[in-house]
Amino acid sequence: MDFIGFLVTQCLNAFSQAALLFFLGVGLTLIFGIMRIVNFAHGTFYMLGGFLGFTAVRLTGSFWAGLVIGPLVAGAIGTAFEMGLLRRLYRRDESAFLMVTFGLTLVLGEIIRLTWGVDALQVPMPSAFDGIVFLFDEPFPTYRLFLAGAGVVMALIIWQFLERTRLGLLIRATSQNAEMVHALGVDVNLVRSGIFGIGCGLAALGGVMAAPLITASLAMAPNAIIDAFVIVIIGGMGSFAGSLLAAVLVAFVQVFGNYYFPDFALAAMYLLMLLVLVIRPGGLLGKEA
Amino acid sequence: MTKHAGIQRRTILGAAAAAASLTSIGIRRAQAAEVVKIGLPVAVTGPLGGIGAQMKRACEFCAKQVNAKGGLLGKQIELVSEDTAGNPATTVRKAQEMVERDGVRLITCIVASNEALAVVPKLAEWNAIFVSGDNGDGRLTGESLVPNFFRPNTSGPMGTRAVALWVRGSKLTKFYGLGMDYAWGHNSMDVFQDECRKAGKEFLGAVFSPTGTKDFSTYITKIRQSGADACFLVLSGDDNNAFLAQAKQYRLGDKVQLLTELVDEMSLLATGDAAEGLIGGSRYTPTYNIPENNAYVAAWEAEYKRKPQMFEGDQYQSCVVLQAGIEKAGSFDTDKIRAALEGLKLTSVKGPLEMRACDHQGEQQGFVVKVGKLPGASQVTPNVIETYPANKITPACKQMTYAD
Repeated sequence: MDFIGFLVTQCLNAFSQAALLFFLGVGLTLIFGIMRIVNFAHGTFYMLGGFLGFTAVRLTGSFWAGLVIGPLVAGAIGTAFEMGLLRRLYRRDESAFLMVTFGLTLVLGEIIRLTWGVDALQVPMPSAFDGIVFLFDEPFPTYRLFLAGAGVVMALIIWQFLERTRLGLLIRATSQNAEMVHALGVDVNLVRSGIFGIGCGLAALGGVMAAPLITASLAMAPNAIIDAFVIVIIGGMGSFAGSLLAAVLVAFVQVFGNYYFPDFALAAMYLLMLLVLVIRPGGLLGKEA
Repeated sequence: MTKHAGIQRRTILGAAAAAASLTSIGIRRAQAAEVVKIGLPVAVTGPLGGIGAQMKRACEFCAKQVNAKGGLLGKQIELVSEDTAGNPATTVRKAQEMVERDGVRLITCIVASNEALAVVPKLAEWNAIFVSGDNGDGRLTGESLVPNFFRPNTSGPMGTRAVALWVRGSKLTKFYGLGMDYAWGHNSMDVFQDECRKAGKEFLGAVFSPTGTKDFSTYITKIRQSGADACFLVLSGDDNNAFLAQAKQYRLGDKVQLLTELVDEMSLLATGDAAEGLIGGSRYTPTYNIPENNAYVAAWEAEYKRKPQMFEGDQYQSCVVLQAGIEKAGSFDTDKIRAALEGLKLTSVKGPLEMRACDHQGEQQGFVVKVGKLPGASQVTPNVIETYPANKITPACKQMTYAD
């Protein structure tokens, strides 16, 4: 394999990872943008997605069913949690949200452990994408191409949703001035419930998609929550485009960093974050410094 | 009269209450006297949680067996278990709590080698015996050996040795390595590299992935580019699952023979056919056909409706060694148990075993297995392709490497 071939396959690898990171980060950043809440349970919803994907595939025999059921169930749980608990806390200071969502992490994590057990579970790839293509005479999994493609499609959908739909308009308006939106007769609470559910659903979507690569396991949540925070910090709190940019940057730094500097594999992502924080403390596309 | 009767009644009630409380204290004392506590500071959450769950299950099974037969020296075994999440600092803290709060003097079931390495310096202070159930790091019976530590299980170097002996006889010539970036990974890779050199085979290099790595695509690329015809893996838990799943997706096995220090069935369950063709050592295999093992497998199947897995077998052997040591000592005194364990000989589920006195390592056979589907089976299983005797597998005293 020549250098060009190497470059192309590694870039594709990076884009497939960027897609997974994007699903994880964008939900967290949307929730933060609207609600000013740091959702500590985000990684747990990602993990829930992986396990729901396993069960959906087991029951229906179709990966695509998992891709629908996982985000829907996680989104419903997220919405119910917002309506039942978070809504009562908006008058409190931000540490209350951190405590409550951290509590949700523990409760949901334990429910997952009791429901699915401690063993890692295999989630097979969808049969349409379980093959390989030859790129520069080297086999490359089509599932990774699918991931990269799904990332692009989802980014377009979310972008169009935020820019073109009425709900998207309300979300952007609420993130800028919730009181004014409320004064104009919009039920801001409903927008918040909706966006919390959508954010959790996106995390679960990432979890279902990641499961064939890493299996559904209890280690998914702690690993994911750190990645999600890094994405949001690099991209800028509350910035949709920022989370997209950050996901791509982090994925490239990880893939090429692992290759050229394997001894610093773990540090690469944090060094990038450090660099961004020094140059732009509010994140690459964040508004607040 | 009424008043008098009232006083009497109160006195009687008071006396009865006092008597009752005395009796209950008495009962509690009696129970305490008939119980021996064994501490399990075991990671049941985190990346090693799956292995920890196996080990804990084996301890519970063994304790249940011993208790059903009247207990250990007449005392019922009570397991005191706490989750460490695989964090060495937590492990030391939890073990210390067990010693101080529960009076634990016997410890087993610690999952990771770095947890074990953190605990061993404290054993003398705690006056406690620690019998390893799976800890692989060679240093535990080498430079870090303490008098109160015993390792009945196969060590990392021993597992690697079995694979190395197999490699010597194979047609493979060029090797690359991928290991987890912590004590066990580096230690086992060093041993394998040394074995390659002695076998006259070429070791091209190794790369180490941080614990919790999710994307192995770059490591797979490196293995492919190295030009090796085999790659030695030192991975466990979720990292191992992720690597095997992704290696299969990249068809790595078509070009490179994957070797591993340990073939873990739990990974096979999690990754399905992805591990097919993998060759490696096995610390325990339920298909090993001797009466001791067959009896164990039958009892286990009656309890759990499935065969025991590798770490369940290895930890079980350690529990049996601890039990035999205590029975030989005839006492729960730490010094007497230590003396009894030194030189202890028995036949366990893995065949003949001797706890040699010089470095407290259990001398035992080594197995090499290949993952594949047996005729008629729907699941892949590790199947024994070679067995090596203890004297070829166990290193010299306090050594991690081999002379030949």
